[in-house]
Amino acid sequence: MSSLEVKGLSKAFGGVKAIDDFSFEVDDHNIVGIIGPNGAGKTTVFNLLTGVYPLDAGQVFLDGKELTGMPQHAITRAGIARTFQNIRLFRGLNVLQNVMTAADPYSDYNLLDVCFFTPRKRRRERAVRDLSRNYLKIVGLEGYEKERPESLPYGLQRKLELARALATKPRVLLLDEPAAGLNPSEVRALIDLVRTIHGQFQFSIIIIEHRLEVVMELSSKIFVLNFGKLLASGTPAEIVCHKAVTEAYLGEEETECSA
Amino acid sequence: MEYIASTLTFTGIALIGVLGVYMVTGLTGLFSFGQAAFLAIGAYVSAVLFKNLGFPLPLAALVAMLVGLAAGLLVGLPTVRLRRDYISLVTFGFGEAIIAVLNNTANITGGAMGLSGVPQRTSFLLVLASVIVCVAIVVSYKNSKYGRQCLALRNDELAAKSMGINVERLKLVTFLIASVMTSFAGVLYVFYTTYVEPGAFGWVISAEWMIIVFVGGVNSLTGAVVATVLLTGLPEFLRFASEWRIAIYCIIVLLILNFRPSGIFGEHEISLRFLRRLFRKGDSAE
Repeated sequence: MSSLEVKGLSKAFGGVKAIDDFSFEVDDHNIVGIIGPNGAGKTTVFNLLTGVYPLDAGQVFLDGKELTGMPQHAITRAGIARTFQNIRLFRGLNVLQNVMTAADPYSDYNLLDVCFFTPRKRRRERAVRDLSRNYLKIVGLEGYEKERPESLPYGLQRKLELARALATKPRVLLLDEPAAGLNPSEVRALIDLVRTIHGQFQFSIIIIEHRLEVVMELSSKIFVLNFGKLLASGTPAEIVCHKAVTEAYLGEEETECSA
Repeated sequence: MEYIASTLTFTGIALIGVLGVYMVTGLTGLFSFGQAAFLAIGAYVSAVLFKNLGFPLPLAALVAMLVGLAAGLLVGLPTVRLRRDYISLVTFGFGEAIIAVLNNTANITGGAMGLSGVPQRTSFLLVLASVIVCVAIVVSYKNSKYGRQCLALRNDELAAKSMGINVERLKLVTFLIASVMTSFAGVLYVFYTTYVEPGAFGWVISAEWMIIVFVGGVNSLTGAVVATVLLTGLPEFLRFASEWRIAIYCIIVLLILNFRPSGIFGEHEISLRFLRRLFRKGDSAE
């Protein structure tokens, strides 16, 4: 069963067709990768899925429910979470609060509880705090709760973005170049972390990544974009051997294929 | 003694106005240049209802706050969708429009001559109690999901939206609470001074409140409170220097901008827990 279904996604900026009739599906509890040269429109796909830009054409379904045209926050609550390529953490808040903001929309107390300091507010706040601590623990950020996000090393900031995305309770998690700027051992750790998280939660993951080892190792299916168009799709092994892909993306060098 | 009490009362009323600006500008990052208009709404509506229509005071106060809420909706609904810089323009225009309305409805409001003969019903203790309640509400708001989300959206609206935060609604809610709170301050104000005129609610007041918030530290409620006492209380006590008030303001703001760009307190708060820890540990390194 597919959890995310995208049909005929299109978006033009002025005369440039950033995404041109891109359709794909992500099966339930699966990991897929989107690769392509710079400017191929990968991040634009994420921005369209999460409602940052309105679609020119196309439809997005999550678990059979149409998300097309919904405002950004509603799409997130419906179950599409994302991380950002250029890390966007909330600088005025500490590490724990960063995660809490993402869990907060599900916290059901209201303004009256705020004005009258009700026990309900206290209980819900504690619940959100515990929940958020748990997410921090999952990504390995225990003990950093009180730190400022901007004071964390780069690799940890990436992890915090991940924890924050988890706290929105996604059905589909979009990772936009999670390995950018990481050193080889950190990339290794990231691959393991993504795999662990994926095993622990019932959601699908879409990864955009330039570090091919990440996509190749994690995804069961890969979509290749070039100039906003779907160039090829298939399993990692198929993609490596795909002639058009190797030309457009990996270069024209001969690759050894056993297929 | 009476003079000190009156100065403290005015400081308290200003503090409630500053709390509103703190919520809208400090927490949420929206520049409201028309906040003083809500003070005017609260003052005029309650005074007219009480004096001309014989409403009992609590009811007049309640209606004044509801009118403040309605006015807040009127301005807030279209503006929360706008970019931040436009919000300051719209609220500025709204504030000046309210003053124009007050000036031109002389048969009800007394126009530029002002509205006089309101009985004095506000006491220092009432203001003190109101300040305590308002500060408590703002503290609770800041330490709730609302406050956290406000800070988040002030920092990065796009990221806030993709965390599932309904940014427009949150901005509106915050703006409305500030509107009601400031209208309430207006009620306290008119029943203390017994006389109001439209000129007392211009954008200069709104700007002054905003300066206070920035001097205190945009993110810090403690800073807002301390700065209110410093900047509205002190000049009153230094009456002899009253002509220099604006100059002193400017100098303080320049000094702050140069030496503490994020305000006196920056993002820090003095909370009960902090004080307790301070006394227990003596010198804490935090």
